[in-house]
Amino acid sequence: MKKSILVFAVTGLLFGACHKSAETSNNTDFAALETQVITDFTNNVALGQYSALTNSAVSLNQAITTLNTATTDANLLAARASWKNIRQTWEQCEGFLFGPVEDNDYDPNTDTWPTDYNQMDSLLASSNPLETDDIKNLPQSLRGYHPLEYIIFGKGGSRVASGITARQKQYMVSLSADILYNNVQPLYNDWSSGFKNQVLTAGAGSTQFETKQDLFLNIVSGMSDICGEVGEGKMFEPFIAKDSTITESPYSSNTLDDFHNNIIGLQNVYLGLNNGKGIRDLVAAKNRDLDNQIRTQIQAAISSFDNITLRYEEAIYKQRTQVQQTMDQLATLKDLLDNELTEFMITNIKD
Amino acid sequence: MCHKADLLPDDEYDDRLSAGLATNFDLSSHAFTHAIDGLSVRDQRVHELGDQTFESKFVAPPAPVFGGLGPIYNNVSCINCHRNDGGGLPITGSATAGLLMRISQAGTDANGGPLEVNGFGLQVQDQAIFGVKPEATIGITYTEIPFTYPDGTIVNLRSPEYQLLNPYIPITVPYMLSPRLAPRLVGMGLLEKIPETTILSFVDAGDQNGDGITGKANYVYDPYTKKTEIGRFGLKANAPTLLLQIAMAYQQDMGVTTFATADESSLGQEQYHSVIDKDQRELADSLLNHVSFYVKTLAVPARRNVTDPDVKAGSVLFNQVNCSACHRSTMMSGSEPDLPQLSGQRIHPYTDLLLHDLGEGLADNRPDFLAGGREWRTQPLWGIGLLQKTTGAAYYLHDGRARSIEEAILWHGGEAQKSRDAFAQLTQQQRMQLIKFLNSL
Repeated sequence: MKKSILVFAVTGLLFGACHKSAETSNNTDFAALETQVITDFTNNVALGQYSALTNSAVSLNQAITTLNTATTDANLLAARASWKNIRQTWEQCEGFLFGPVEDNDYDPNTDTWPTDYNQMDSLLASSNPLETDDIKNLPQSLRGYHPLEYIIFGKGGSRVASGITARQKQYMVSLSADILYNNVQPLYNDWSSGFKNQVLTAGAGSTQFETKQDLFLNIVSGMSDICGEVGEGKMFEPFIAKDSTITESPYSSNTLDDFHNNIIGLQNVYLGLNNGKGIRDLVAAKNRDLDNQIRTQIQAAISSFDNITLRYEEAIYKQRTQVQQTMDQLATLKDLLDNELTEFMITNIKD
Repeated sequence: MCHKADLLPDDEYDDRLSAGLATNFDLSSHAFTHAIDGLSVRDQRVHELGDQTFESKFVAPPAPVFGGLGPIYNNVSCINCHRNDGGGLPITGSATAGLLMRISQAGTDANGGPLEVNGFGLQVQDQAIFGVKPEATIGITYTEIPFTYPDGTIVNLRSPEYQLLNPYIPITVPYMLSPRLAPRLVGMGLLEKIPETTILSFVDAGDQNGDGITGKANYVYDPYTKKTEIGRFGLKANAPTLLLQIAMAYQQDMGVTTFATADESSLGQEQYHSVIDKDQRELADSLLNHVSFYVKTLAVPARRNVTDPDVKAGSVLFNQVNCSACHRSTMMSGSEPDLPQLSGQRIHPYTDLLLHDLGEGLADNRPDFLAGGREWRTQPLWGIGLLQKTTGAAYYLHDGRARSIEEAILWHGGEAQKSRDAFAQLTQQQRMQLIKFLNSL
């Protein structure tokens, strides 16, 4: 899936380190910093973001319920805003796609695309029950954010409130309930009740992360994966195929925001959130130059999205230079993460 | 004068290198998903396209992209079963299903393979697109059986029973079922490159060395090349090439037709009526090739903790109790001119790719070409220690009945009975060391 380098050679270079008392105290400080970064990542970034996701899912569910009760264009607009809001939080959560979100399939259950028009149309035309529990048993391409997007935005964003049928209403109500009750809430609970401890006890009894290095490499790998997924996959494929039907959120034209938020999610992991420590604090403690490079490159990648002024579905035809520039920035960032940052972790995280 | 270069002595290799140049050092939950190093720009692109296709969820036709699902299927994408390119979960009939059921009746077909059951083919598709009936659903019940070590320690093993429920038409002949759990995708490209002579050199026909282990190769018919060839892939070594293994997965598991498997799995059944364009090949030829290249060029994860004293002791025990007679540790891959990373590499797959009698406890009693009802192909062990991390929950053996490596060892019977008994005789400390060694693979 991803390129990666032979970093093992580095581990051979660490023999013969000398033991000075200053170094010992530095090491103690650094070990304490590692623990702090892990704690802050867990509480501020992971649990913080998943908690925000839960709030967004509650709001979305309320907006959809309201739209169901009073199907007005104003309520449709509110539901759309609510949908875009949860997409922002969710895409930022993709900066750390490991643990329950992948182990328990919350990601594919809610964020599978492309949507399956034919089965969606067949389902809506049928008399198949559409309660939340029925949704839970549907294929993943008929669950989650994107079928809901299809209902409330329609092709080309053309949906009007009066055009939403009774079956579509029933489907959208159950879809948003399925997102909230079967996915987002359990995701938060899985983290807070179990996985949190796996992360917090990395290198001290965790069965998932036997060493802290193991955990940090996993976090870096998660950052690199989302960078690659956006640059080499989600942006590149519609771009190279010149095909706007294979973008991520085509009905709402939210695709570019999705990408942008993915990289902000990566940045949140690197910098930390709410004044907590992030990966950057570890890097800066040992190698300020590398920290500068990484921060600058993340910022360059994020800013480069601003040069794409059209919606992504149009930009792949009309702003190809700008799209290519962003993909180049993401490639540079991914290289930094795969090589320098990964090496940094292997060299410096020794417990 | 001409000197032939000798191989280095064994202790001069880096133990972490599971697969020579094809080794990768990422040990995260994505450890199985990396391309081998040093692919050309073009090869990287093909690998990436294969990766995307591998992850793409197929949808009901007609659809602009990735249409062609079903009408009957077991799952909607490769990745749904091979989680993170790791293994599957032993459940059926849902998006998270990683277990499928083969079916056949007594006798063999014209090519020596299993004989289809009318209306069901050779595999039970337990899901269907909207409005279509699946062939049946699968019922699984487990019975816990306690196993007591000589030292008094008790481990629970769970014995599965499988039932075919709600068949869409009655089955009128006696039939045999065989469950198959999706395996992890480690080192498939290298297994394909192990010379046939190497595999055959592992056969000990007539048990000349008296260790109770013989082994035999499966020879299977390839419907695409129309030749009988040595079987390498599949839990009974019933697929000769990666391409066919993958094409059959598209056809049988997803209901997606390809150039190598052009017929719908539902051909001749009532579900076939809902196939819209019966002549269309649902997976583009290039994409099947890309997926095949993707799987072939996946790197093998490096070993961990190789200097740990317990791991080292476990490695010695692995040989002492003779696990290594079938789970062969070291061999050389053959030549692959286009991909030097796979060519002539010293690899440690821990398999002989042969079929062995594993006893009544594991028997499916369903022959598959030359594989008898008690025979299974030696599972490669590389990557086994990362299964939990990549898959999210680790299940072992052909049907995922074992919830731990220890349970998996204790299920071994038949040719492996002696080794299993020797394992049970070890002290608790030694058993821990052996398992720790396996977890380092």
